[in-house]
Amino acid sequence: MSGILIFAETDDGTILPNFWEQVSAARQVADPLGGGLRVAVQGSQIKDASDALKSGAEQVYVTNDARLGEPWSEAHLETFTALCRELQPELIILPRTLLGMEIAARLAQRLDAGLAQDVMTMQLAEGKLTVTRPVFGGAASATLRLTRPPWIIVPRTGAFAPAEPLSTPKGELVARQANLVDDALKTRRISRTRQTSKINLERARVIISGGRGLGGPEPFQLLHEIAERMGAVVGASRPPCDSGWVDSGMQVGLTGKTVSPEVYIAVGISGATQHMTGCSSSRVIVAINQDPDAPIFRMATYGVVGDWKQVLPGFCEALA
Amino acid sequence: MKIIVTLKQVVDPLTPVSALKVDGARRKILGPPDTPPVINGYDEQALEAALRIKEEWRDGECQVIALSAGTGFDLDVMKRAFAAGADELVLIEDTALDTWDVSFIVRTLAAAIKQLGGADLVLCGRQASDWDNAQAPLMLAELLGLPCLTLARRVEVKGQHVQVERVLSDGIQVMEANLPAVVTVTSELGELRYPPMRARLQAAKRRPRTMTLKELGVTATPPAAVEMLDLSLLQIERDCQFVKGASEAEAGRMLAELLIGGGFIKPQQA
Repeated sequence: MSGILIFAETDDGTILPNFWEQVSAARQVADPLGGGLRVAVQGSQIKDASDALKSGAEQVYVTNDARLGEPWSEAHLETFTALCRELQPELIILPRTLLGMEIAARLAQRLDAGLAQDVMTMQLAEGKLTVTRPVFGGAASATLRLTRPPWIIVPRTGAFAPAEPLSTPKGELVARQANLVDDALKTRRISRTRQTSKINLERARVIISGGRGLGGPEPFQLLHEIAERMGAVVGASRPPCDSGWVDSGMQVGLTGKTVSPEVYIAVGISGATQHMTGCSSSRVIVAINQDPDAPIFRMATYGVVGDWKQVLPGFCEALA
Repeated sequence: MKIIVTLKQVVDPLTPVSALKVDGARRKILGPPDTPPVINGYDEQALEAALRIKEEWRDGECQVIALSAGTGFDLDVMKRAFAAGADELVLIEDTALDTWDVSFIVRTLAAAIKQLGGADLVLCGRQASDWDNAQAPLMLAELLGLPCLTLARRVEVKGQHVQVERVLSDGIQVMEANLPAVVTVTSELGELRYPPMRARLQAAKRRPRTMTLKELGVTATPPAAVEMLDLSLLQIERDCQFVKGASEAEAGRMLAELLIGGGFIKPQQA
């Protein structure tokens, strides 16, 4: 068992930006671990596999297969498991996406590996990998020790600064076959519908989110106006989504998306675990809430205690 | 048709952060003593999915069994499964199950499912609100050698298959698996039905079936692949700087100016 293997997820044949954060995590332990870095790119009609070489990987294994063009976990898992068994990596790093998290859990069972999801920091000492991760919606932090290799980690989005690509990569691309037998697969794809929405909460630099305190769908118009004035994306906590005020794709939290923008502005959001799970690793949290005892202020860097109906117009004006 | 739904008892995720406490010795997070625990929200939704399937079958043709492995069960809370319509509630209670070792929990659940004669469909919540690992259902599927479909907002049994609508971050994917299978359920499926008074009264009188680790022949085999070394609350993580103005509108304006001045936000050119 030796070295690091990164699973690079693709969408529409392009490697996800999470990849460079995975590389950053890998570089932190690459020296003491030794054994080099390898990357597995799986997808359909992959366009930028050679970019992955800029991670400094010795080999980038590229598996092009129509069945890998979608987040079909069984197809990806079978393909990736075969590679892991062949390469015997000591550390495997997957992206914190729905597919990455799912492959990680099943692979851990298959390889009898220790798995840590949502990793904020990691440290290698005396042959043991120690990591920290948020639990209870970021209200608490757990320190975990992965006792024996192989180790599988899934870095929290935003926790590791994207690594700098190398300008003169030396590694090689290795083409692989998926070796999937349709009849042997136990799950099947029937159809997929994708929303072509422009907003991307996960990658936004500034997010302004509204909660139950806004009282209805109309105030979100003001949030959109403010967002436009500062190049931000609008999010929401669970109650506005459950009440149908806004689209559920805007939801941040345990039941929605996990975000880690530079600035997260929470308006009328109390700060329950459910919501904070999704935004607690934002660099700066700004809270506007009527209740001075709202838990959100404990996580916030800046706060205004007041009625959003008064506070927001003032805020908006200053952006003009 | 036999459906087993896995349930986890957790600290209520709506508990304000300030009311949580850490039990350092047991590396456990405790809710306020006067607030009862809840069944993990996604697990309740998995139970709802099972009950919707049950409605499609004639009386007695579909059995729904709720299964939980843990410690310190609040029976009033767990019996909600009966009230909602589960035919049976099976509890495996042992302090050893109060652990971060997911593999141990999963081996326990797998042994219990075998003891119950297996299932056509195992339904689980997509993740638990406390540790947020989203691990147990997937590992359970691997251990049982079953196909697994995740993040279902709709679960439909069609002959020898189960068809689900998966909620992805950018849309919906419809997938199918051979039965028996494990399916995880997401919140978009809808909340667990609220049982009528009569059902709640009847549920109060019913008793869960209990199983022990000994009966199941499952033991923790240290060292676990993952151990928790420390657990700490991050309550005073940030010192909030409160912005105050002559009026609330003024405070709002000052807040924006502070964020612009700090380079956190930038007004866009019109």
